[in-house]
Amino acid sequence: MKTENISLKLKLKQFKTILIKDIKSEVRQVNDLFAVILFDIISIFIFSSVYNFGTQYQNMPLEIFMIQNWIIIFFTLIYIMAKLFIKEKESGTINGLISSPIYPNIILYSKTIYCLILMTLIESILYLFSFFLSAPLIGRISSIQVLTYIILGIILPTFDLSISGSLVSALSMYAKNKSFILPIILFPLIIPITTPIISLNIKLLQGVLVHDLIYEIGFLFAHIILMISILTLISHVLLYD
Amino acid sequence: MIQIMVESDNNLINCNNISKQYGFFFALKNNSFTIKKSTIFGIAGANGAGKTTLIKILSGLIKPTFGNVEIGGMNYKENSRIIYQNIGITIDESFLYEELTVYENLKFYCNLHLIFEKGDIMREINKLVERFELTDWINEPVRTLSHGMKQKVELIRSIIHRPSILFLDEPFSGLDYAATDRLIKFIREMNQKKNVTVILTTHKTDLFQQLCNDLIILKKGRIEKRITDEEFDEIESLF
Repeated sequence: MKTENISLKLKLKQFKTILIKDIKSEVRQVNDLFAVILFDIISIFIFSSVYNFGTQYQNMPLEIFMIQNWIIIFFTLIYIMAKLFIKEKESGTINGLISSPIYPNIILYSKTIYCLILMTLIESILYLFSFFLSAPLIGRISSIQVLTYIILGIILPTFDLSISGSLVSALSMYAKNKSFILPIILFPLIIPITTPIISLNIKLLQGVLVHDLIYEIGFLFAHIILMISILTLISHVLLYD
Repeated sequence: MIQIMVESDNNLINCNNISKQYGFFFALKNNSFTIKKSTIFGIAGANGAGKTTLIKILSGLIKPTFGNVEIGGMNYKENSRIIYQNIGITIDESFLYEELTVYENLKFYCNLHLIFEKGDIMREINKLVERFELTDWINEPVRTLSHGMKQKVELIRSIIHRPSILFLDEPFSGLDYAATDRLIKFIREMNQKKNVTVILTTHKTDLFQQLCNDLIILKKGRIEKRITDEEFDEIESLF
């Protein structure tokens, strides 16, 4: 049997091609992105206002602040997921991708990174507004701790959510009732990481050292490895079957 | 690029007992046939006869419920990347990204087909865009093009990587007379000069006479008749 192995360099080029195409498409229909950002800002505003009026406190406790932010992030993920594969399926362009000489896992990885980029962009705006509107009670933390928080508290969980998001988006794209199926598959996958993510976020901003957060970080890494393994193993089935 | 090899009996595509079932409905029922290399193979039939389903199965876009398709002795399950390097597909669904320009779409598909050399891409795109009279539209987003123009861009996209097999589902829909004539000439040229095997569906029966040298007529998901070169004169009476 003849086989043709595509070199890693070519695979990376194909990966970059899909990623750049997605980013270009997003930039050209920026209104969609603005709508999500607006949804996030309005949600933060409502959360903060209700907290202020309901409790008469100006500063939100760190625990509530984190729960508020991550609930909004989870809902944002559902919107972004629809852009990954479901939009490609609805426009018919998924056929162009799957009828090209490309490994299915390259398509899935590039969509994951695209999801990570979009989510990180939205989260940075969300955090900016939430710090301003909710005024959480944070102790004094050094710039290194802030950097550690951004990497371990925001980017690492977002990467995990992005992998789960692309997996669920690909799984549900051929389903007839996508809007119904999507959350049903997504929530069992991301609920196990909700508690570690929020716990990690709170503790990092309280100034707890990284080696004391080994269980939360370990759990997140285990979940990431599990999701990547599932994504890689069933990539062919997801896109072609 | 690894070229698809043709078996000794000159058969390029082998379809064995293909059926496609949607729920309780059979869109295709137990069809077997072969397609020879360098032919222009037509798939005819009334609406709902199963033409599009068949061409989608042949091009690997959907899987048959039963049976299998072999292209040059290879199947989609084990050799999809080699097959996809050698085939071009135009179906009723658009593969084009509406927000991207014509050039960006074509460059994207060149890259997916492992053509990365900028000079090669520019040369090939410019040549085909000029041929299909789309030069003035090359930097326009696809969403601004008319249906006929999009159809032309779809055709360019499907041949930009120089495939040896071309699957065309209703390629003439949305084209005016002049564009249809030019496309007929183009398909003939691809077939005669570049030895490209063309598999096409259309509801315009006169086009089968002009283009095809092998034809199957589908009725309710089954091959009702196969017409070879000699019988083409009587084709009108068959529809």
